[in-house]
Amino acid sequence: MGAAGYPPERHLLSDLGIEAESIAESDTVARIRATPHIVAADGGVRAGVLATLVDLVGGSEAIRAARPDRMVTADLTLQMVRPAVGPFVEARGRVVRRGRTTLVIEAGVFDVSGEGSQATADAGDAPPAAWATMTFAIHAGNQSKASGDEGPRLPARWSFTGAGLEGPVVDALSLSETGAGGGEVSMPVREYLLNSFGAVQGGVMALLGEVAALRAFEGAGGPGGAVVTDLQVAYLATGRVGPIVSRTRVLGTCGDGPGTGGSRWNAVVELFDEGDGGRLATVINVGAVSPGPPAEGPA
Amino acid sequence: MGDVIRTDGVDPGRNVGEYFRLQRWEIPPVNGGLSELAGRAPVDDHQRGAGGGLRTGGLLTSVDSIGGMLAGLSVQPQWIVTTSMMATVTRLSHRGPLRLHARVLRRGRNAVVTGLDVVDEGNRDLPVASVTMTSAVLDPGNMQHHFDRPIRSAMPPPSPNPQGIEEFFGIEAGAGAVTHLDLADHLRNPWGILHGGAVATLADVAACRAVAADRAGGGNGSGDGTADGDGRGRGGAGGLAAGDMVIHYLRPSRVGPVEARCKVIGGQDGRTLVRVAVHDVGADHRLVDLASVAVVEV
Repeated sequence: MGAAGYPPERHLLSDLGIEAESIAESDTVARIRATPHIVAADGGVRAGVLATLVDLVGGSEAIRAARPDRMVTADLTLQMVRPAVGPFVEARGRVVRRGRTTLVIEAGVFDVSGEGSQATADAGDAPPAAWATMTFAIHAGNQSKASGDEGPRLPARWSFTGAGLEGPVVDALSLSETGAGGGEVSMPVREYLLNSFGAVQGGVMALLGEVAALRAFEGAGGPGGAVVTDLQVAYLATGRVGPIVSRTRVLGTCGDGPGTGGSRWNAVVELFDEGDGGRLATVINVGAVSPGPPAEGPA
Repeated sequence: MGDVIRTDGVDPGRNVGEYFRLQRWEIPPVNGGLSELAGRAPVDDHQRGAGGGLRTGGLLTSVDSIGGMLAGLSVQPQWIVTTSMMATVTRLSHRGPLRLHARVLRRGRNAVVTGLDVVDEGNRDLPVASVTMTSAVLDPGNMQHHFDRPIRSAMPPPSPNPQGIEEFFGIEAGAGAVTHLDLADHLRNPWGILHGGAVATLADVAACRAVAADRAGGGNGSGDGTADGDGRGRGGAGGLAAGDMVIHYLRPSRVGPVEARCKVIGGQDGRTLVRVAVHDVGADHRLVDLASVAVVEV
């Protein structure tokens, strides 16, 4: 997290160009430019990228709040209320509860007009595009590997500057299809995707879940162009060895009334670390909307 | 000699479980793994919401009962308390009965994660909800749970005097986007704190009322308007139903009354997201739960 050489020069966080700032002891903001490489079919930044952004905000606050203990993300939820179209998208987080073994953080995601704290101030109390929560598990007495011997401390402001994405962010995951029915994808574990603890970054797992769900929707007969709006991510174990492979169940549509439009999809994506004995690493509940009438999902 | 709660296969929060007529049975491990737990609940008419099926708060009450029990069984002689629930609701209209199936996804030293699937057994097992729950492992101290294994309990009979969900949970409308719950003894779990399902039901009712109030007040997000009608009874705040829900159980509610304070975050296409902060008024108004509820038009 911008300390002790993390992330390396070639890293997804660097290519996303995220910059972050601590604006108070318990408040952090992080921004990203809404480039064409990271947007979904509705023109807003993809849910998996927003999950990466809020995980970074939450992680930064958790490091400060849990200091000198080590912490890992236990769960993350992201619920979108409209597309986050930018030109910059900013996540603002705050600690809700610091317990002995867990830390709960909430974050809002906002469109802002430019970079820097002035843009944040200008945005004022504009309604958020998404709302997120995270739980971090605190491991007492373990200091962050990223922080060396100094304890986990962060600068007040930092940025990840890389060469930038050369294409759609999903291409950066180097995914391959592993099943004929869609929704079963495989992702190699590379340094490019790791967090400071040497495991696949939590936001990357969320992005992988987003992609797997969308492919499963299409595989189940749904129209293309669906957009993921909701992610509920439970991190059960770290993905360290790889490849990370997905297994997806499409649950079908939600609601029968006019408000739901019959075009809302849900799926459950399980991510396994195949190289680690096939251990279940992450479970993600995914909600999405599709632009046209849906096909009936499997019962 | 500690207090021994002999549960004989019935959820320690038996009042809540009996209200929803929850049947339970344990599925013993096949290859040395952990037991799984299943449940079945009818969808009685007085528990249906505006979506036509079991009100989401009620659904999550049964989920909490089954998931919490399984998590507790997996760490005995220790026991657990639910710390978070992430629920994706796929269908709001149910024929019933609903069947629940819970399995342990991860059992750690400090926490247990359980995954639950709910299907509409009366309608071709169509998926109703998928839920992930996290529970913190606690030292039970003097309080010990003894169970006859495998767990097996019959479905309680219908009540001759059925109460609506809001009446059973003691939920009453407050001003604008505030909704109250009276912390009655039958809503407490063995730790003496408010049952997680009661929190889910309060969040459900409060969020629907907040959206109705927000619309009545011009949609400024404050919920300063007045909820359409009394916001109570079979349909809740008319034409609105709670769908996906995330709850973080931050601190125990012991004193009461409990108050849900809502903020409408925004939405589109008939789906509105509401932040629900639950405070224990009798404990210096401290924040005890934080939830988000997706309210949909039905």
